[in-house]
Amino acid sequence: MKPSIIISWIAQLVAVVIMGQSLYFKFTAHPASVAIFTDIGMEPYGRILIGVIELIACLLLLRSSSAHYGALLGLGTMAGAVVGHFTQIGWDGERGELGILALVVLASCAIVLYIRRMDLPFISHALKESEKG
Amino acid sequence: MSAKIAIDLHKLAKTVNIAIPTLAVLFFLAGWKLSFYFHFGTVTFILLTLLNLFYTRIQSGHTLLRNFGIMGQARYMMESIGPELRQYFFANDTEERPFDRNARSEVYRKAKNIDSAASFGSQNEFDETEIKIRHSMYPVLHSEQVPFSLTFGEERGIENAYTVKRPFIISAMSYGALGEHAVRALARGARQAGIPMNTGEGGHPKYHLMEGCDLIFQLGTAKFGARNEDGTLDDSKLAALASQDSIKMVEIKLSQGAKPGKGGLLPKEKITDEIAELRGVSKDKDVLSPPFHPECVGPQNTVSFIKRVQDLTKLPVGIKLCLGRPAQFEELVVEMLTQNIFPDWITVDGAEGGTGAAPKAFIDGVGMPLYPALKLVNDILTKHGVRDRLKLLASGKLISPEKQMVALCLGADAIYSARGFMLALGCIQALQCGNNTCPIGITTHDPELQRGLDIAVKSTRVVNYVDNLEHDLEELLSAAGCRSTRELSYDHLFVPVGANLGAMPPQSSSTSSSSSSSIFA
Ligand SMILES: Cc1cc2nc3c(=O)[nH]c(=O)nc-3n(C[C@H](O)[C@H](O)[C@H](O)COP(=O)(O)O)c2cc1C
Repeated sequence: MKPSIIISWIAQLVAVVIMGQSLYFKFTAHPASVAIFTDIGMEPYGRILIGVIELIACLLLLRSSSAHYGALLGLGTMAGAVVGHFTQIGWDGERGELGILALVVLASCAIVLYIRRMDLPFISHALKESEKG
Repeated sequence: MSAKIAIDLHKLAKTVNIAIPTLAVLFFLAGWKLSFYFHFGTVTFILLTLLNLFYTRIQSGHTLLRNFGIMGQARYMMESIGPELRQYFFANDTEERPFDRNARSEVYRKAKNIDSAASFGSQNEFDETEIKIRHSMYPVLHSEQVPFSLTFGEERGIENAYTVKRPFIISAMSYGALGEHAVRALARGARQAGIPMNTGEGGHPKYHLMEGCDLIFQLGTAKFGARNEDGTLDDSKLAALASQDSIKMVEIKLSQGAKPGKGGLLPKEKITDEIAELRGVSKDKDVLSPPFHPECVGPQNTVSFIKRVQDLTKLPVGIKLCLGRPAQFEELVVEMLTQNIFPDWITVDGAEGGTGAAPKAFIDGVGMPLYPALKLVNDILTKHGVRDRLKLLASGKLISPEKQMVALCLGADAIYSARGFMLALGCIQALQCGNNTCPIGITTHDPELQRGLDIAVKSTRVVNYVDNLEHDLEELLSAAGCRSTRELSYDHLFVPVGANLGAMPPQSSSTSSSSSSSIFA
C-alpha cells in the first residue's frame, strides 16, 4: 500500500470514530445533544437528520471505493457544525471540546479528500490535466 | 450568432461566479438569524466557492475551467455522459459502431429465442456499397440439403483429424481479456451447442477446460502456456497441452485484424500469481508479446514452424492472419508448395476485428478488411491449385447470417466469431474491454461485476444464438439454391462497384519475387 493511502485510512478511521461515538448521543437523545440542537432550533428532527447524514458518511468512509464521498459528506456536516459553534452554539466548556472534535473531523475529511481527489467524478478530470503541467 | 452565444455564456459564467459566494453569505445570514437549516445551503455554497476558486485561480490545465469556473465544468459533464446519451436517446438504429443497434438487437433476439421478423422494409441503404446474396429461381427444399460437415486435417490423412458439424466456431479470446464467468459461459455454451472454442493466447486454458468443450489451443507470438524463458516455443509443454483430450486443434496466430504487426506488453503490475502460472511467465518482469513469432522471420521458416507444430502436436494445425500485402501471402503459399507442407486451415481475420485493447491507430488504420482479404486469399490458393489442401475460416464482424453467407460465398468453409458470442452473452457495447470495468461482467475480473453474469443462463444464450444462426443460414442456402455451403461461390453474390470487393486496383509490390505471375500485380 502506498504511504498516502495509509495516511488516508488513518484519517478515515479518526473521522469515523469521532463521528460514530457522537451518533450514540444524538440517537439516544442525550441531554447535552438535545440542548445543543434546541439552541440552534433543530430539535428533534434536525438532530435525527444530522445523525443519519453522519451515519452515512461513516459507512462510506469505511470502504476505500466510497471513502471520497464519505469525506465530502463529513466535510459538509462538520463545516456546518463549525459554523454553528461560531454563531449559536459557542465554545463554553464541553461545547468547546465538541467544537474542537468537529474541527479534527473536518481536517481528517479534508486530508482524505485531498489524497483521494483523483476518485472524485468530474473534478479529477480537471486535476489530472493541471497536475501534469 | 455563435459569437453572441459565446458572449452570453461568458456573462452567465461571470454572474454565476459572483452568485456562488454571494449565496454563501446570504445563506449564512439566513442560517444565523432565521433557521439553522439554511446552513445546509451555506456549507454547499462555501464548498462550491472553494472549488470555483481552485478552477479559476489555481489549476491551469483547462482553459475552459480557468476562464469560466464551474460553468465550464458543465461542458465536461455533458461531454462525459455524451456516449450514454447518444446511445440511449439520439443514435440512429443504423449509426453506432462497431455494431449498430439493428445488428446488436438481431443477435440479442437470436440469443433469447425471440422471433426476428421485421416489418415494412429494410433499414439499409441499398446503395452502391452493399453486397447482396443472389438467390436462385429454384430454391432447394430443406429435405434435400446435405448436413454440414467439415473435417480438419483430412488432407494430411492424420489420425486426429477433427470434424465439426456446424459451421460456427467461437473465435480467440483469452482468459485475461475475458473474465472467468464469460470464459465458462462461452465454453459451456460451446459444449452444449456442439461447436469448438478457441482459447485465445492466454496460456494454459484452465477455465476453458472446466466445461469440457472442444478446444482450439491458440499459440500466440509470446507462446503463452508453452514458452521458454526467452519466449520461444517449448516443445514439451506444447506436446503436453496437445495431449489433453479436449484440445482438438492448434492455431498459430501470426497476426490479428485489430492490431496486425503489433505486439503487446503485459506490465508486471498486472501479472497475478494465476496469470503468471497459466501463461508461464515470471511475476517480476514485464512480459513482451512480440509482433511476430521469433521462429517465423520469412516464408521458409514460417512453413517449417507450421510443420514443427504439426509434428509435435499430432493435431490439425492452422494459422491465423490478417492480410497485409497479398504478394507476401502468395510467397508463403509458393513456399508451402515447395516444401509440400500446408497448414490444415488458414483463418483470415479482417481488419475490422475486435480486441481487448490495442492502439487506436492500429484498430482503425491497419490491415485489409475481411471480404477483399478473404477473396484474395481464396483466389491465390485457387490459382496455385492448393485450395483443396486446406480449409479457410473467416472472422470479422460476421455476426449475422447474411454477412456469414457472404463470407461463405467468398471461400470460407466455416465462420469464426468473437464479438457475436460476446453479444449473445449480453454485451452492450460499452467499449470498456480494456479497463476492467465491463458493466456486463464479460471483459472484467472484478468479482462484483462478474456476479451478474450467470453462467448457466448465458450458456443457453450461446446455444440459442447458434441454433438460430444455423436455421437462418439453412434458409438462405435453400434460397440460393444450394444443397450445402460447399456449393456457394462468388457467383452467388451481387457485388456493386462501390463495395470494397468491386474493383481492386493493381498495386505494385516491392517484396514479391513472383510478382510478375501475381494475379493482382
Ligand atoms: C475481447 C477480445 C479478445 C480477443 N483476444 C484475441 C486473442 O487472444 N487472440 C486472437 O487471435 N484474437 C483475439 N481477438 C480477436 C478475435 O478472435 C477475432 O479475430 C476478431 O474479434 C474478429 O471477430 P469478430 O468480429 O466476430 O469479433 C479478441 C477479440 C476480442 C473482442
